[in-house]
Amino acid sequence: MLCGELEVVFEQEGLTPLSPEARQHLSECNACKHYFDDVTGIVALASGFPAEVEPPERVWISIREELQRENLFRPKHREAKSWWQSFEELFWTRGLATAAVAGMLVIAAFSAFQEPRTPVLEARDDPFSSTVKVLNQQEHDLDNMRLASTTGDPAVDTSLRQNLQQVDEFIADCEHRVKEVPSDDLTREYLTNAYQQKAELLSAMMDRGGSLN
Amino acid sequence: MNLSTVLTGRNILPVLAAGFFLMPCTPADAAPQRLEKHFAVKGRPVVVIRNIGNGRIEVKSWKNSEVVVTGTKASDKIAVDTEQAGDRIDVTSSVVDSSANPAEMQANFQLIVPEETELQLKTQTGLIYVEQVTGDMTLDSVAGDVHLNEVSGYIIVTTTGGSLVCSQCAGRLEFSSISGNAQVLQPALNNVKLRTMTGNILFDGDFVRTGLYSMRSGKGLVEVRFSGSDSFDLNAQTATGTVDNQAAEYLKPDSHGARHLASKFSKSLFGTVGAGFAKVELSSYSGTIRILKRD
Repeated sequence: MLCGELEVVFEQEGLTPLSPEARQHLSECNACKHYFDDVTGIVALASGFPAEVEPPERVWISIREELQRENLFRPKHREAKSWWQSFEELFWTRGLATAAVAGMLVIAAFSAFQEPRTPVLEARDDPFSSTVKVLNQQEHDLDNMRLASTTGDPAVDTSLRQNLQQVDEFIADCEHRVKEVPSDDLTREYLTNAYQQKAELLSAMMDRGGSLN
Repeated sequence: MNLSTVLTGRNILPVLAAGFFLMPCTPADAAPQRLEKHFAVKGRPVVVIRNIGNGRIEVKSWKNSEVVVTGTKASDKIAVDTEQAGDRIDVTSSVVDSSANPAEMQANFQLIVPEETELQLKTQTGLIYVEQVTGDMTLDSVAGDVHLNEVSGYIIVTTTGGSLVCSQCAGRLEFSSISGNAQVLQPALNNVKLRTMTGNILFDGDFVRTGLYSMRSGKGLVEVRFSGSDSFDLNAQTATGTVDNQAAEYLKPDSHGARHLASKFSKSLFGTVGAGFAKVELSSYSGTIRILKRD
């Protein structure tokens, strides 16, 4: 079995159970073994994310009021919801958003390791762009939640915010390096881990905001 | 002089003044309250503490088949519930009044458990301290530190900003943090996985034969101090940081003939100390990796 054939097996049949041919190839090919371990690790991490929890009603009220105040949203009365609106509401739940980040990371990992990289800078799609988008959306949601949350230990909130800032700085640093040296696998690994940590941190902050209401 | 005489005229002022100064400064429900519970157990108990408020959790062991939970809570605005189901003991603190300020949300716990006990402890800002307990443990904290002394088992520590100090620990250790430091001192651990984004890592102790040790910090210092009798293969890599090898005389080329392909985009150091029985992987994105022999 060749590396390309193994990728097709992963895409079509999943990571387990693996055929004897695939297992044989993994035992002989370090690159595929490394790739397989990475994806398996990400999937395992994703399965550990908290179950979907609906935020309290007051959070939505607060967000709605803030959007209305900034003239970004006008309430529609007695209007049937489109399928897209229903889907959008579903996606707003943080559990699903967190799972989405994990899913994006899996896709990003596929993209990052699938094609052989050349040591020169090349114009290609950023495999992490979807992940970044979802994380930014989560961060935006968190800002709105803070408007609704007034209680809690400031020391804990401060610590969480400071750590989020450190994660953002680290991500910016790694992203800059990856743009300069696209073939730096070590930096890519750190960047992937940083995205995961940011997703977990945002999830913890949202849970904390929700539990205080 | 009767009471009506005291409470009239100029005599009333000193009485009121005295009463004012004797008046308690905090409401009655803000006074610290103590609790103590005893739970008889048969086998190896599982103790779960979820401290939603803030506070310290201290766990020590004894030879009795009994779990003793003592604690203090700062006010009635926080509730502490305990539950026993067989050998599982749950202790949960929760905020019952959302107007509670941080000082009123504090709950501290001291536990005495059998030597072989599994622990799942979670708090926000207080210290988690565990001493002389054998068993798997999962310890979570946001900003509080975690201190472990003479514990063994499969130990998983997760913090956001809190640091870990693990002295004379044995078994398997996993630590994950964003800005917390990790210090592992005089361990007998055969599997170690330490991850921090901006914190520092210090491993000062022996590497067990056939042990696996992986330590990585994004921006911090990763320092390993080994002894002359240690035996391990070393793989150290950093993307933009530095590798400070202060043990060049002990570090020989890999004796197992394994090929190490160093990336041209990172700084790497490969080698073997002794016969290379254990495996040590050190990594940093932009920090320093330091390897030195203990005096």
